[in-house]
Amino acid sequence: MTNILVVADIKQGELKGSTAELLSKARALGADTAVVAVGGQVKDLADQLAAAGSDTQFIVEDASLEIFSANPFAAAVVKAANEFNADMVWFGFSETGKAAAPRVAVQLEAACATEIIDVTIDGDAVQIIRPAIANKVLQKVKVNTPKLVAVVRAGAFEADPEIAGKENVVALDPPETDTGAKIKELISDASGEIDLTDADIVVSVGRGAKDQTGVDMVKALADDLAAGFGSSRAMVDAGLMAHNKQVGQTGKIVAPSLYIAVGISGAIQHLAGMNGSKVILAVNKDPEAPIFNVADFGIVGDLFDVVPLLKEEIKKIRA
Amino acid sequence: MKILTTVKKVVDVELNIHVENGAILDKGLQYVINAWDENAVEAAVQLKESHKADTTLVSLGSGDNTDIIRKCYAMGIDNAIHIDDPALAKADSPTFARVLQKVYEAGDYDLVITGKQAQDTDAGQAGIMLAQFLNIPCVSNVIKIEVTDDSHIQVSRLGDAGTEILDVTLPAVITVSDGINEPRLPAMRGIMMAKKKKINVMDLAGLGTSFEDVGGTAPTSEIVEFMPTEKRKGGQKFEGEPAEVTAKVVDLLVNEAKVL
Repeated sequence: MTNILVVADIKQGELKGSTAELLSKARALGADTAVVAVGGQVKDLADQLAAAGSDTQFIVEDASLEIFSANPFAAAVVKAANEFNADMVWFGFSETGKAAAPRVAVQLEAACATEIIDVTIDGDAVQIIRPAIANKVLQKVKVNTPKLVAVVRAGAFEADPEIAGKENVVALDPPETDTGAKIKELISDASGEIDLTDADIVVSVGRGAKDQTGVDMVKALADDLAAGFGSSRAMVDAGLMAHNKQVGQTGKIVAPSLYIAVGISGAIQHLAGMNGSKVILAVNKDPEAPIFNVADFGIVGDLFDVVPLLKEEIKKIRA
Repeated sequence: MKILTTVKKVVDVELNIHVENGAILDKGLQYVINAWDENAVEAAVQLKESHKADTTLVSLGSGDNTDIIRKCYAMGIDNAIHIDDPALAKADSPTFARVLQKVYEAGDYDLVITGKQAQDTDAGQAGIMLAQFLNIPCVSNVIKIEVTDDSHIQVSRLGDAGTEILDVTLPAVITVSDGINEPRLPAMRGIMMAKKKKINVMDLAGLGTSFEDVGGTAPTSEIVEFMPTEKRKGGQKFEGEPAEVTAKVVDLLVNEAKVL
């Protein structure tokens, strides 16, 4: 039997959807499941973590863990992994996961695989599948170590609503880690904004929107749809959008039900971040824009005409 | 301050990649400097200009890396090392990190700056593992570096909850995002000077180690096969009167795709 420890993906006190997705997959593989929640106030999430599919909930709660710091976070995960005798540790696709996974892997003497989209277990043989080269190829990777630490790409697995675990809370002491990288300040994301990586609908704005007025207009569409609001790199470079809104190989990987690309031509790096979306709608005035090669639905037109009309039509159907 | 930066030569992701019989075909491939490494080099050169840092570049891998190293020289890097060993062709991230550890230990550096990932593997592990092996601090996905004093820097990183500002004790490893800077285009004078500069090329034995010593003979994982990614196909594209087209598409999103 394989023991899979899932690291709870918690943002601003809320459990993100990826945790249930990972636990569902772990159970589908026939594994014993546990979850580790690390943070300032995570105890109260235990019942949600059980409902999401874990049979044991390791809780590492301490005021010092309120703001993410990679070393103590990784040390807490290692502690839970050892406690659970985990064969695998799975992180959701987040900056937390990407920063912590290699540290955890070194400490557990485990193989480390980031951005995986599938994993198979056949007796002792473990193989993973992951995209590479800006999503142009897939790699099949054989794991040679008894343990594997993996970061799972957003949207790779689906949560099974039928799956539930049982509550078995194990409190662990926070690790004593001397970190040479101390958090002085956190400039928090604007509260109330929909998390891009967790959103069911994402609206992204590109160079076609030109300036702040264009950005605001597209943002209003995102607000109407209660969607995450993202951007191409061009808008970040132009200073019109924040770095953490960038969707693409270098930024956020998203996998919503609906991705609406407004005024985005479709550079390969951008496509690498959003081609896991179920349905893509593109709005662009250039009929030859590469985004139309991947979009399920395309509107060739000036976004300044089309976006207000989209808002109007959506209002009608939601009325 | 002594700074070590790393650069990797990677396939140009803009071009088509052909996969046949589980391997990437060599046809039509072109190689470029990893974009995030270029950000790392720019960050190092900026620290050289503002704080008189001494900058060394290391490139790992087999084959001719002269062009990318000359580019970094032209940007302003002081010294360059190329660990050119055919054994590294199939190395995994921990092995690369162990080689970097050997380079680091030979050079008494204060700060290592790497790109946050390589655009061929997209793994993002080697820099963080290097710090773990050296037991020194590491901050990843950094968008700003400021020198506080001889033994501290302040960095900003993009985290999940927002921008985190950290005080980092040196020596440390920093992995940078493309948001940190806009890599400079080297001036002609720099390009001419770069041509004359020496590249210190050595194999693993020259570095005082061996493939076995850096864990290469017992990789934690191995790529057994490459497969082409299933390509999305373009669907329905509508041109015409915006109001009509928009109403039609919203109807399709509601009734056909069922995503609204």
